[in-house]
Amino acid sequence: MKPVSRREFLLTGAAAFAFSAVIFRSAQGWLADGQQYLGMGLAEPLNGKITPPPNDEIDPIAHTLNRLTFGPTPGEYSRVAKMGVAAYIDEQLAPESIENGRCNRALARFCDLWGEPLGEHYEEDDDALSPILRRVTTLRAIYSKQQLFEVMCEFWSDHFNIDPGKGDCRWSKPSDDHNVVRKHALGNFRDMLRASALSPAMLWYLDGHANEKRKPEDKANENYARELMELHTLGIHGGYSQQDVMEVARCLTGWTLRSKKKTGAIKSELFNLKKALSQPANWKPLNDRGEVYFQPQAHDGGAKTVLGQAIPAGLGEGDIERVIDIVATHPSTARFLATKLCKRFIADEPAESAVAAVAKKFTESKGDIKATLRTLFATPEFLSSAGGKMKRPFHYIVSALRVTNAQTDGDKPVLQFLEKMGQAPFRYPTPDGYPLEATAWHATLLWRWKFALALSNNQIGGTSIERAKLQRQLGGDTALMATVLNRRASAEEGDAFLKSGDGLALLLASPGFQRC
Amino acid sequence: MLANLSANPDDKRTLVVVFLRGGADGLTLVVPTEDDHYYKARPRLALKKKDTIALDGNFGLNPHLAPLEAAWKDGDLAIIHAAGCEDTTRSHFEAQDLMEHGGFVAGGWLGRFLRARGPSRSPLSAVALSPTMPEVLSGAPSAAAFQRIEEFSFGKKSAPNFPAELRRLYEKETGALRVAAENTFAAIGRIEAIDTKAAPENGATYEEKDSFHQGLRQVAQLIRADVGLDAASVDLNGWDTHFTQNLVIDDNIKSLGSGLASFRRDMGARMATTTVVVMSEFGRRLGENSSLGTDHGRGGVMFAMGGGVRGGKMLGTWSGLTREMLEDPGDLPVWNNYRDILAPILTRHGANAEAMGKIFPDYALKPLEL
Repeated sequence: MKPVSRREFLLTGAAAFAFSAVIFRSAQGWLADGQQYLGMGLAEPLNGKITPPPNDEIDPIAHTLNRLTFGPTPGEYSRVAKMGVAAYIDEQLAPESIENGRCNRALARFCDLWGEPLGEHYEEDDDALSPILRRVTTLRAIYSKQQLFEVMCEFWSDHFNIDPGKGDCRWSKPSDDHNVVRKHALGNFRDMLRASALSPAMLWYLDGHANEKRKPEDKANENYARELMELHTLGIHGGYSQQDVMEVARCLTGWTLRSKKKTGAIKSELFNLKKALSQPANWKPLNDRGEVYFQPQAHDGGAKTVLGQAIPAGLGEGDIERVIDIVATHPSTARFLATKLCKRFIADEPAESAVAAVAKKFTESKGDIKATLRTLFATPEFLSSAGGKMKRPFHYIVSALRVTNAQTDGDKPVLQFLEKMGQAPFRYPTPDGYPLEATAWHATLLWRWKFALALSNNQIGGTSIERAKLQRQLGGDTALMATVLNRRASAEEGDAFLKSGDGLALLLASPGFQRC
Repeated sequence: MLANLSANPDDKRTLVVVFLRGGADGLTLVVPTEDDHYYKARPRLALKKKDTIALDGNFGLNPHLAPLEAAWKDGDLAIIHAAGCEDTTRSHFEAQDLMEHGGFVAGGWLGRFLRARGPSRSPLSAVALSPTMPEVLSGAPSAAAFQRIEEFSFGKKSAPNFPAELRRLYEKETGALRVAAENTFAAIGRIEAIDTKAAPENGATYEEKDSFHQGLRQVAQLIRADVGLDAASVDLNGWDTHFTQNLVIDDNIKSLGSGLASFRRDMGARMATTTVVVMSEFGRRLGENSSLGTDHGRGGVMFAMGGGVRGGKMLGTWSGLTREMLEDPGDLPVWNNYRDILAPILTRHGANAEAMGKIFPDYALKPLEL
């Protein structure tokens, strides 16, 4: 039996309407509930004696924490010091083995949404889903113990960037996050690429859904084909030609999805009862929306050649598998991804030796992301790069909340700081994703400083820290400074800490805390 | 003497986008005084030719826009009628969405314009004088939305020694982070040096209680303070005049005309590098309705002032108001796409052809001679 959509349920009667409207608003309701739930506190109380980083420079433990996480929480250095860096990397590369119950339970009420059939999402109001997705993403970054996994989710969200502001993506991006990014973040690159290629949100965002060949004169829509090679795999100078773009586009003709509306119009009339009643045609359920399917009659069945490899005529929906194989295993793809990973984890301009080693592992392991990362973390270039990267705004805000053990609901007040700095989750408009390099973020300093002041003084709505308690538990100023900076403070930093009149804010605003 | 905070000479230019929210009635702002169809369709709302300010023999400026006559005569104001976007739903939400995004595409066109030019060194590259970030700026690097420019500071409540101690630490730095901090402290200094109470220049006056005027006044202060402002967004709301239009619209038109004229006067010579563009999501139906108002239509009017526009004339296509030239159900069509009007302005503000492809993707531009 076909499941009854919320809309069908809604239209079964006036009494049902009154009731189901409540269910309809469930997403927003969950937010409110979540707020109460979160009021209990997602941050765990600090227990026992905490040993801050003891060295004047960022040591290998602190360095590993700086890079593999969105910044350490106060007790994390001690824990990793006990277990050892190698064991910590093993742990983070096996997120399923990490006990993360507190975070998962608290966010379950939001995240259940992503597990529903996609069509249900289309029943939601225009602006219902994206704020939840932003908030959940922020809260996971702050509170999840699967930190490397969250860092990689951010990395792939940029790599396969989709701004839900474009048309139907506002309903389908959460599913992309769940079924493409999070499902494969530490899995296999080829699998992730295949999932992304047929993700409803990607099919919409890069116009794949409109890529058709029905008549001889129809020209394929090249948008996705180009970005597939330029941004997702080979890279701009990866050795593909305009001819290759056109051939890939031909291979992908015919894949489409059931869209919200044909025109791309996006205003939902779900809550406009008058309009709904006046247009019975609109009563039809939406719960098949977002379904991806192949239209043989809109597919270009001829033979193609992609990057020198022949794809015979008549493969139909098999074309896409050949294309994904060709681009996923191309040597340029290994180099392009290795370069981006090295930029994220080592330096804005990583050494060629590191890129080569990571690319080699990527190729050998057939795109195994864990194996590739393990190789990266073992390069001498990684080990010697401590403190050399500037945090992006999201990393900065999350690291400040983590190191102060803040309780936060991750709601608008926090998001507004990210918006001012130009890095709210899923707000990057073009398919290239937020830039990895520091130069893009140099103009954000004042908003970081203002965030540091506001956090230190408990002036951010829905967010609180226990400053005195934190300082007491750590054992005084010196320990607090070392905890925030991930190393002992310099004489100048100690001096400024005391003279500034707001030591904690000063540390969070200082150059040392902008870097990782 | 500190240099301008921006990286390249183009950054000296500032683009000010004024959005008239609600669907401004272009036919009342700029009246087709020679077209009988206008007078027949609007027996009670039409403006008499003698009450308008003659522009080019075909159109007359609304008398409340009289303060803009000087700009027109100086060739500093261009007017484009029958302007707008492709959206035919006549929904405020959808038309604004489309016009701010610049097509069915993520992010705002102004945000993409700023991104396409590469990272700005100025922390005040883009501002919206509004409580929240408008969609047009979405995707911009470090855009700030505030209602008072004083918000761009450490704030009165911060510890007195805090900025100096922080600065001391950044001065110990070498490289890019130090430069970024220097630029930020310089911008804060320039904002603090702005006497926000000071009279505007050249005898310009802004209404104290008019938020549109105060928005423009602060944009002028930022431009004059050389904080590296590339783009600013200011809204003027309340144009949805279904009911007793004249009662509602006159104050708005006065605010628009006097505000823009004061801004131009205040800017003085700097107007040569400052462009103001005025747009609305759609115009209104030609025929007046039974409640002395007008309903949502299609083509509206756009203005471009300063920044070297080739003004003093009506630009773009105009095909009159005869029945066969109207779009059902009786609307002035959109003959001039907003992107063809914005494109030449963005080019002057430093967007090259490659950038333009990112700013307005999936649209074959036919830029106006503007």
